[in-house]
Amino acid sequence: MSSVALGPLGSAALLLAVAFALWGLIGGAIGAVRRDARLTTSARLAGVATFLAMTAAVAVMEIALLTNDFSVSYVAETSRVSSPVWVKVVTLWAALEGSLLLWGWLLSGYWALLSLVAPNGPLRPWALTVMAGVQVFFSGVPALLTPPFSAVSPVPLDGPGPNPLLQNHWMMAVHPALMYLGFVGLTVPFAYAMAALITRRPGSEWMMQTRRWTLIGWGFLTAAIVAGGWWSYEVLGWGGYWAWDPVENVSFMPWLTATAFIHSVQVQERRRMLKAWNLLLITTTFSLTLLGTFLTRSGVISSVHAFGDGPVGPAFLTFFLIVMALSLGLVARRWDQVRDRADLDHPVSREGSILAGNVLFLALTFTVLLGTLFPLIVEAVSGQKVTVGAPFFDAASLPLWMAVLALMGVGPLLPWRRAPQQSLLRNLAWMGAVGLIAAGGAFALGMRGSYPLLTTGLIGWNLASLTLLILGAVVPRVRVGTRSVAQVLRSYAFENRRRFGSMITHFGILVIAVGILGSSAYRVDEQLRIDIGGTAAWQGFDLTVVDRYMERSDQRVSVGAEVQVAREGRILATLYPRINSFAGQSMTVPTPAVLYTPLYDVYLNIAAGVTPEQEFVVLRVVRSPLITWIWLGGVIMALGTGYALSPTRRAVSATQRSREEGTAAT
Amino acid sequence: MRRWIYALLGIGVLALAGVLIQRALTDSLVYFILPSEYAADPGAYAERRIRLGGIVLNDSVAFDDERLELAFFVTDSLQTYPVRHTGTPPELFRENTGVVVEGRFEEGVFVSDNLLVKHSEVYQAEDGHPIDIEELKDSLQ
Repeated sequence: MSSVALGPLGSAALLLAVAFALWGLIGGAIGAVRRDARLTTSARLAGVATFLAMTAAVAVMEIALLTNDFSVSYVAETSRVSSPVWVKVVTLWAALEGSLLLWGWLLSGYWALLSLVAPNGPLRPWALTVMAGVQVFFSGVPALLTPPFSAVSPVPLDGPGPNPLLQNHWMMAVHPALMYLGFVGLTVPFAYAMAALITRRPGSEWMMQTRRWTLIGWGFLTAAIVAGGWWSYEVLGWGGYWAWDPVENVSFMPWLTATAFIHSVQVQERRRMLKAWNLLLITTTFSLTLLGTFLTRSGVISSVHAFGDGPVGPAFLTFFLIVMALSLGLVARRWDQVRDRADLDHPVSREGSILAGNVLFLALTFTVLLGTLFPLIVEAVSGQKVTVGAPFFDAASLPLWMAVLALMGVGPLLPWRRAPQQSLLRNLAWMGAVGLIAAGGAFALGMRGSYPLLTTGLIGWNLASLTLLILGAVVPRVRVGTRSVAQVLRSYAFENRRRFGSMITHFGILVIAVGILGSSAYRVDEQLRIDIGGTAAWQGFDLTVVDRYMERSDQRVSVGAEVQVAREGRILATLYPRINSFAGQSMTVPTPAVLYTPLYDVYLNIAAGVTPEQEFVVLRVVRSPLITWIWLGGVIMALGTGYALSPTRRAVSATQRSREEGTAAT
Repeated sequence: MRRWIYALLGIGVLALAGVLIQRALTDSLVYFILPSEYAADPGAYAERRIRLGGIVLNDSVAFDDERLELAFFVTDSLQTYPVRHTGTPPELFRENTGVVVEGRFEEGVFVSDNLLVKHSEVYQAEDGHPIDIEELKDSLQ
């Protein structure tokens, strides 16, 4: 069909990427050992070359997808002529081979960027070498183990199209890309940590140089998890967003350890403590991304018998073991340099609270890991098949989350080294009072149950803490100067980006806590049978099934119902819950329709097939109060992270100055 | 000295977490069994949430579309139990198809709140010969 053979072109680009990455690894290592500037520079350029080769491979794949070149195996297996253009574009990550290609491409982008912008110093050659080593794996897997560019013969005329669950919602274009950007972003601090160990410079230099990368990776991971929650809410049809499913868990574990890491690096920056701890944390984070991919891509989790299902699982397991062995071995060899000589001055201090928070985050990680792996352990020991349900994860993690929330209110108020008792007690009294008022008010309004009340109290506690933080920063400045409160606040927020960004992010977590509280404690989930033309009263709403609903296009058929949602005689919305079937796929996808409001969502899903003979429809109706706050909180967290990352005025003017100098020089 | 206090505190937190985790785990393990495994030891699964796998017995399905209640028998060819499920049957639900229901036994009836259709390759033999239990279990998992 096409005049250019895209398959061989893509394969060649991938092999070229592996070759460049190998050069980055070998040349970089030799150059770093011999301190050979020419070798080091050429290995540095290998990063850019690898990125170009990977970009070429991705571009070839996109061209093949967009031009329906079914001679390329990945296109034949996942694409379809009648799919809309956006679906074809995102089909790149609709299946395993393509998503590994995407992962390798994004990694090469970070590596190339790092090799261009990383400050010249003793860490750089080794950090880039480690990046190259990781890239060898992530280019090698798509090039050799899961080749997406294999030739298909005879060339089919059409393919099945991507998994219907994926083409059913545009979020699928966003969520995986965010997830990989997060995973890949956290590779950079890992590479620097290894460089710090190799060069015997385990001070805070490596984390200062990767502060931004770490925050970027963490921010993407956060956004990816919240986006994934929203995707499952919009698509999966049970009206929830998190099921403690293994695939969710393995993306959550690196987030937990990365969250511990972005907090504990501050202790090393300020107090020169926790060197080994930080090195181990970032190693754990990076390893967990590999372990997670191994667990979910090899079929190990659902059943031990599927072990070795495809070459990807063993490859990731091997790489995981290599990474663990090398990094732990390095930490052990450098133990004399990385162990802490300083001691905690006082547990009631910023560093004390961060340490306690770290313990909590690790305990959470362990809980999630245990719950995810426990079915494997039980089956290995007793041969019995078990699943660990959401009740385990809720019961084991909720107390820890409560402690995290409590600590989140206290930590930022504590000064480094030692807290003056008087001001601390005054602050705690305020926070406790607001927390009690919040919980008491909720109780008076009818809230029962210890976790909902405790969460409400802790949200009040944290809001008081944030207020005290801002007052503590603003009031003295207003007192001494002549500036107005607004001016002071603005300049404080402007000059302390990192601190203010963290306040915004913490506030986002509170907003999410409100959403989780409302939507899990007060969720109503029922099936309703409503006659066509009839009305059912439900939870203060009137649901009227106006008619059946049907829509047909080349690519999909939707069958469902037109439902009016009214409250006290006023029509709030007309929703079209439906079941979509996609051309080329036997699986049908229930597609819920949601009325979003700030206080409650009305979520309708077709529970039983709508047929012309049947004079009624069965709807699954879910009311989740405050669930929108979760998505809102995710946006606030992303904004807060972005704010903390935005260059300060000083940095901006510095780059501006250098640019001006640059133009002056020419 | 202080170091020891922190170490002890840390161990205390970990021990507490361990206890919480252990209790939560034993309470929320959901065993996946077949009807004959239940019949062998009903006491072990009394008052417990389990996942029961099997094949929908021919001519046993009844759906009350007024009350949205589904009733059928699930079998592994050795044992058969009645299942009551609240809600509509899933689209691919058929007789002689593999299913996994989640819930608990109440007075000899399995009351399910979650019904999954599994495309088991092991179908009930037409002439009533017992089927390979292990194979059935693997195919339903």
